Amino acid sequence: MKVYTRKIMTVMCLFAVVGILVPSGAWAVKEVKIGVIYPLTGGAAAAGRELRAGAELAAEIANNVMPDLPMAMAKNAGIKSLGGAKIKLIFKDHEGNPTLGADLAKKLILDDKVDGILGCYHSSVTKTVSAVCEQYGVPMINGSSTSPGLTQRGFKWFWRTTPHDKWFTKDLFELLKGLMEGKVRGVAKVPEKDLMNLASACENTEWGSHVSELIKDLAIVNYKEYGFKMKKSLLYAANSADLSSEVRSLKAARPDVMLFASYTSDAILLVKTLKAQRAQPKIIWGQDAGFEKPEFRETLGDSIQGILTRTVFLPKVVEIKKVAGQVNALYKAKTGNDLGGASARAFTGLQTWVYILEKAGSTKPAAIQAAANSIHISGKELVVPWAGIKFSTSGDELGQNVLGSGLIGQYQKEKDGSIGLEIVYPFDVASANMIYPFPKW
Amino acid sequence: METLKSAFDFSDFPRLDISIAGIIAIFLLVFPLFSHSAFAMATMIQFLMFSVYGMGWNTIGGYGGQVDLGKAQYVGIGAYTTAVLLIRWNIPFWFSMPLGVCLAMAWSFIIGYPLFRLKGHYFAIATIATSLVLMDLFSVWEFVGAARGLEISPIKYHYPDFWRLIFKKDIYYYYVILGFFFVGILYVNGFRRSRLGFQLRSIRDNEEMASSLGINVHWAKIKTYAIATAFVSVVGSFHACYIKNIEPQDTMGLDLSILIALMAMLGGAGSLWGPIIGAAVLIPLKSYLKAWLGGAAGLAGIDLVIYAVIIMLISALEPRGIWGIVEKVRRRRWQ
Repeated sequence: MKVYTRKIMTVMCLFAVVGILVPSGAWAVKEVKIGVIYPLTGGAAAAGRELRAGAELAAEIANNVMPDLPMAMAKNAGIKSLGGAKIKLIFKDHEGNPTLGADLAKKLILDDKVDGILGCYHSSVTKTVSAVCEQYGVPMINGSSTSPGLTQRGFKWFWRTTPHDKWFTKDLFELLKGLMEGKVRGVAKVPEKDLMNLASACENTEWGSHVSELIKDLAIVNYKEYGFKMKKSLLYAANSADLSSEVRSLKAARPDVMLFASYTSDAILLVKTLKAQRAQPKIIWGQDAGFEKPEFRETLGDSIQGILTRTVFLPKVVEIKKVAGQVNALYKAKTGNDLGGASARAFTGLQTWVYILEKAGSTKPAAIQAAANSIHISGKELVVPWAGIKFSTSGDELGQNVLGSGLIGQYQKEKDGSIGLEIVYPFDVASANMIYPFPKW
Repeated sequence: METLKSAFDFSDFPRLDISIAGIIAIFLLVFPLFSHSAFAMATMIQFLMFSVYGMGWNTIGGYGGQVDLGKAQYVGIGAYTTAVLLIRWNIPFWFSMPLGVCLAMAWSFIIGYPLFRLKGHYFAIATIATSLVLMDLFSVWEFVGAARGLEISPIKYHYPDFWRLIFKKDIYYYYVILGFFFVGILYVNGFRRSRLGFQLRSIRDNEEMASSLGINVHWAKIKTYAIATAFVSVVGSFHACYIKNIEPQDTMGLDLSILIALMAMLGGAGSLWGPIIGAAVLIPLKSYLKAWLGGAAGLAGIDLVIYAVIIMLISALEPRGIWGIVEKVRRRRWQ
């Protein structure tokens, strides 16, 4: 009996010693499951592939030690505060369908028991998915949906890293203003009357319709003194097989500046139709999304020279940010493409997840919520040219990153004959002279 | 009383059919009580929703032979009525849903009158056109949120709220839509043996002959069109509370109209069980193919290819749908 008691005591002591020596997190969590909902099929499948690759690369860096990368998440294998727990991504395809998105969010939360959600690109899908997360009290980080309304709903479990369309559209008007004031690199002062007439065509879901309203508001209210006139404002279905009547209508308005908010396939179709109908505005500007996808450049080739697009990341950023160059090299080795706006934001979205988990030291929703609300990620850690990430915790934009900013790029021919994006705004980081007016097709 | 009796009278079906239907009904009633995944529950709710959509479509499209490809407009009317009344005036689902049905039926009378002057493909195209026009109107109508649509905020209401149909757990939604599903079956069962049901079948078989027998062909079609509309409008109202977010593209798009018609056609148009079989095959097939192949195996898009091939195979094998195949097999056995 005595021998037995001694043996039991010894085993218990051993357990106690191991329990003291090994951090509690190591027992608690082996992996952190993040549900990632992106459009992997359908009209935005090209963007979905980019988003997926961006998120996967961030997870790879977080799960392995990469000492050369000047990022905190590259210094440890896994989440240090959770005993080295690895990030596991569970991907779901929402096809751009908000109803399907909500169903998938429920599946991820209730069946796969994810610790949090990342997604969803389409603002309309982000809206339904974030509503499900709010209902279940599961944290969601959004890296790439830009409809301003998403962070104006008072949700407590939703955080957005990317700047939203109000900021981006304002950047466009600042560029137009800069052209009128002679601030744009390589362009002489443009008379106001040459840029007065605007026309827009935006896809007709949450995102596009919001952009369309913002353009009207900014032109007529905020930049009233510059005399902008909204000659035409159209909404169209992103899955349209033909946009010739929309383009004809835009052309008939004889605008100086044409503005678009389009996903990939419709952006390509729009530019093809503009070319076919020989539309000749002085400026063509796309609100990111389809206008900066590799497929847009590959399909349309030289004909996109002179087209502007707003973004949060351009390959030229690599020249001004070392960390962006290093991550871009890894991304190129993995996919064959440079980082773009979508992939860089997906990367940043997952990176934010990693930093929040590290700060929280737990996968409990309340701990994650507290960490997200108090986190401050330095701009030096990010591939995107932002001042950092810090979420608003009061006011009418709960969960919005207040340190983000946008860029405007222009497609220009590189020295090697390929088409690439050059930074034209902000003016102080312009990487090339702007092509103005838009060249003949 | 006679109508109620007729709704519960399944005596013209073979005993085997009734037994199978009974087993399925019991399964549907007890399904949530057994362990199930959230995904299975969402799939079941989708199946029930599309079954009711299909039952509605089946009255005019199956029994009446009028191929309607614009049903989504009535889903939208039902969904928007419920959402607008709830968000703006806090009016509960059980009041807004009947109002949505009335509005949808009124709209169906307005457009049904000129639409049924057309026949065959022209009618089908006209239904698509009216649905798309209404969707475009809703896309620019600020009162209903224009293209951004409306959101029933999850933080504004306390759940479970049976009056407003705001729940956190899907089990409540399941039993509500299951109730509509059973009511739908009983109604269609009564309808197919009603005076209007017989009139419609004769119109489908030979319109001139039906007219010569004294049937007011135009009026019979309009009435049935309104009945079909009521079905989809009810589910539209349910959809608004279930998804809590509606927008024109998602609620009134052409995809939805075609899917509703496809369920009924593939299952077997003109039969009581057809739309249910169609939804029972297509909805889980689509959901699980996507989950297994698109998600788990990483073969994004392959699920759509397999889904399309199965639809093509069934259509090629038996144009009367799956129920047509069942009847063919049964006839061969008896011979």
